[in-house]
Amino acid sequence: MSDNNKLKIGIYELTGCAGDALLILDCEMELLDIFNAVDIQSFLMAKSDNIDGDLDVALVEGSVSTEREIEELKDIRKRSSIVVAFGLCATVGGIQARFSEEEWTQNLKEVYGDTEMTHTKAVHSKPIDAYINVDFYLPGCPVGKDQFLNFFTRVVQGAPPESYPVPVCVTCKYNENDCLLNKGIPCLGPLTADGCGSVCPNHDVPCYGCWGPAEGANLTSEYHLLQEKGFDIEAIKKRMSNYSGSKFQEFFEQFKNKESK
Amino acid sequence: MKIVKMKRENLSSFLEAISREAELWAPVKKGVDTHAFQVVKDFSEIDLNYTRTILPPRKILVPSRFNMFQATKTEYTPDFSHVSNKIIFGIHPCDISGLLTMDKFYSYAIEDPYYLESRKKAMILGHSCWPDEHCLCKSTNTHIVEEGYDLFFTDLKDFYLVWIGSTQGDDLIRLVPDLFEGEIADQDIQRFMQWREDRDKAYSSEINFVAMADLMELRYNDPVWAKLGEACLACGSCTNVCPTCNCYNVEDRPVLGAEHSNISRCWDACTLENYSGVAGGENFREKRADRLKLWYTHKLQAYISKYGKPACVGCGRCIATCPVDINIKTVSDSLDGANPDAFWNRLSQEVTK
Amino acid sequence: MNGTQKATKSDNPFLPEPARIVRTYPLTEDVNFFQIRIADMEKALGFSYQTGQFAMMTVLGAGEAPFSISSTPSRPGLLEFCIRKAGTVTNALFNLKENDLVGLRGPYGTGFPVDKMQGKDIIIVMGGLGAAPLRSVLLYCLDNRDQFGRVILLHGAKRPAEMLFLEEQLELKGRDDLECHLTVDSDDTGQWTEGTGVVTTLFPKLEGIDPENTFGLVCGPPIMYKFVLQEFLKLDIPKDQILMTLERRMKCGVGKCGHCAIDYIYTCLDGPVFSYWDVIHMRELI
Ligand SMILES: Cc1cc2nc3c(=O)[nH]c(=O)nc-3n(C[C@H](O)[C@H](O)[C@H](O)COP(=O)(O)OP(=O)(O)OC[C@H]3O[C@@H](n4cnc5c(N)ncnc54)[C@H](O)[C@@H]3O)c2cc1C
Ligand code: SF4
Ligand code: SF4
Ligand code: SF4
Ligand code: SF4
Ligand code: FES
Repeated sequence: MSDNNKLKIGIYELTGCAGDALLILDCEMELLDIFNAVDIQSFLMAKSDNIDGDLDVALVEGSVSTEREIEELKDIRKRSSIVVAFGLCATVGGIQARFSEEEWTQNLKEVYGDTEMTHTKAVHSKPIDAYINVDFYLPGCPVGKDQFLNFFTRVVQGAPPESYPVPVCVTCKYNENDCLLNKGIPCLGPLTADGCGSVCPNHDVPCYGCWGPAEGANLTSEYHLLQEKGFDIEAIKKRMSNYSGSKFQEFFEQFKNKESK
Repeated sequence: MKIVKMKRENLSSFLEAISREAELWAPVKKGVDTHAFQVVKDFSEIDLNYTRTILPPRKILVPSRFNMFQATKTEYTPDFSHVSNKIIFGIHPCDISGLLTMDKFYSYAIEDPYYLESRKKAMILGHSCWPDEHCLCKSTNTHIVEEGYDLFFTDLKDFYLVWIGSTQGDDLIRLVPDLFEGEIADQDIQRFMQWREDRDKAYSSEINFVAMADLMELRYNDPVWAKLGEACLACGSCTNVCPTCNCYNVEDRPVLGAEHSNISRCWDACTLENYSGVAGGENFREKRADRLKLWYTHKLQAYISKYGKPACVGCGRCIATCPVDINIKTVSDSLDGANPDAFWNRLSQEVTK
Repeated sequence: MNGTQKATKSDNPFLPEPARIVRTYPLTEDVNFFQIRIADMEKALGFSYQTGQFAMMTVLGAGEAPFSISSTPSRPGLLEFCIRKAGTVTNALFNLKENDLVGLRGPYGTGFPVDKMQGKDIIIVMGGLGAAPLRSVLLYCLDNRDQFGRVILLHGAKRPAEMLFLEEQLELKGRDDLECHLTVDSDDTGQWTEGTGVVTTLFPKLEGIDPENTFGLVCGPPIMYKFVLQEFLKLDIPKDQILMTLERRMKCGVGKCGHCAIDYIYTCLDGPVFSYWDVIHMRELI
């Protein structure tokens, strides 16, 4: 299948659970249309005859966690007109990126001791935009199906959608949920990028942030609000940093400094 | 205006009869003590003992997302599939006032057919209510409505007095005339007058709206805005729940495997981070405080100069909703010189510590 | 009695008209010129607008955005735009070719009050994309030359290559009924024969301005306003005769989506043309 008019797409997996790539295959109803609309050049999970040539769009899943991945990523960037951070790990680094550099070095030592790594060297996990320019972000753990299809159809038409990030609370209100935060339950909706359709609050479960930080999230306010509602600093930190990867670290550093003073 | 009487036990027969005419929407319990307007088939779900729904009834007329038209390169085909005959039962006076405000807004200068068509096909059956600690409709003078409904039911325990506000409302009554009585006894009138007096006394919260337009102007650079901005989570909730908010965004959503796009309209909120961004990365209201100023200018000042009334109809939703206590009450109070006990106020002390 | 198709096209202000790109070519590195004709001939001729108004343009699959109409109503039929490649819609628009279709609706907003400007002297100060709306009023004045007093054009750009409509305006310099002064911040070609320096350096060239009888028009990048307004005020031009066009995010163009709100006005309905008097009492305007 080599149709020159079709967009050349590559789907790549770095360090992550491959859940986002799996999501594409999970779009059962639309799968044929997807495969018809574009020329998928590389997709390890779905096919074996992969070509690593020039691409119109590269979807990159996972965080960057080894030196080899850094090289791979830079190569993808060179070959692609549009690079998309696909899923939470690629967008913010994911769960594996929530440690500071020091903590990470210590963890590595604890787990691997002095074992020498021959294959490639592990590096502190980071989102892909730590190394390359990213044209578009599709957060989510995994990416939402509607979100992906909307993005995909727009790209096929030649124009990625205008990014208009909003927090989970927006959809949560559309769904008319009783606000959990107001009931003293530590919901991270205001800090978290929307895309999931507020599934957790829809089921009376507080948002724990799996879509990653919302643009312009007001951490200071939510942090103090949760404190006022009786949650201790450690619990709040743990909750807030679970899915925010490297993005909230600076914020917590500031509190660390305050506390040590 | 004509007023008739209906025995309480006749209500479900009445609903039964009218629900054959159009889709019936009414308040239904959702969550522990919250409510939402929903399509009802089973009348036992209706809970008239509610104070405010989470979203105002404008969601029934302009849904949070709907398609305005389908587009191909050569043709733009309007899509009015969100418009259908509806009966909205159980709307309180503040929300009827909210719709009246929206009517003015959507007809001003250039008419918006997506709202107005929807509105034309919706019958409004109002219902009386009892204020809680957040209700401000007496201050906004929207606790009693004289227009904007087809029928209005005042609940006087074992019977209703029913105001007939339009010929369509009258037609509904004529569907089942036996359920209604034309004669209203003197004691019924006394019951109503007593109810009105008691209700007027039940309001525990008020705002001096008359002064607000000027105070908004005079305190435009007051330090309180910085405090509010510090605490605001930019979650958009206050905006989404307000019956007089109208902002929206438009998206071109191509259909996979087809040649056309759906042009989709989705509620937007001026309190959100990206609301005022323009090309070139410039954002005219990057600061949360600036966005809140716009919202409160809209509520407390703008509509007064345009329509002679504040945009706030006193429903209390922003008060019940905002996690950090930024709402029409605390903001008005502080513009009025008070120092309200609110999270945002405590936060500003906490951060400056 | 479902409402589908209820509101017909004519009373639905949101429905674009298919329109054809008749001609397009680059004006500068990132700005293209577009000549567009509404496909339905009758509607094309019926599209009447004022200088300073804007239209909403749809590029299928990308979205819709507002653009000033750069042509003059005195030459009906063809609409002209000058558009900078800035993001989603404009990128997609730049990929279209002559004969391709876009969607168009409008015109919207307040235009320049050409009736009130009749018989008066007109100073037009443009910079960057400000040339888009102001070219319309400039051409209008020239097409109806006998209705206006002096017509003065001051145009500034960073470099010669960035000056919009440079050739057209160099040609206009030949007219003796237009005072046309062009300037660039810096000349990197070595062949520039017009002025150098920011646009305000052109003001001293203006002689014998009769402020009560003068309208000052300005449009350009945000920082330009402040300085040009000062010059207009120095000339003693009355505040309500100083006019400018402003830009905001716009999603509807008809006062419904709220995005262009400034205080209690909507830029799309009450603007984009504002007077300096408006600016003084609108807190957020500039
Ligand atoms: C009345 C009026 C007249 C105009 N006339 C002209 C004209 O004659 N010629 C012309 O070229 N332009 C004109 N403009 C500007 C033009 O409308 C914009 O450049 C256009 O909307 C860009 O659309 P886009 O989809 O290409 O860009 P977008 O994709 O919308 O945005 C482009 C850039 O803006 C940034 N951006 C977009 N949205 C946001 C946001 N919410 N927050 C932060 N940043 C954001 C993006 O990061 C991107 O870099 C006019 C605007 C108005 C209001
Ligand atoms: S429940 Fe959570 S997501 Fe929903 S409105 Fe409240 S804080 Fe926001
Ligand atoms: S944790 Fe938050 S972002 Fe993740 S699915 Fe739940 S509500 Fe959505
Ligand atoms: S401002 Fe608050 S109280 Fe007033 S109408 Fe809006 S949500 Fe209701
Ligand atoms: S004022 Fe309150 S409800 Fe409104 S956006 Fe800010 S935090 Fe959310
Ligand atoms: S552009 Fe929508 S209100 Fe002005």
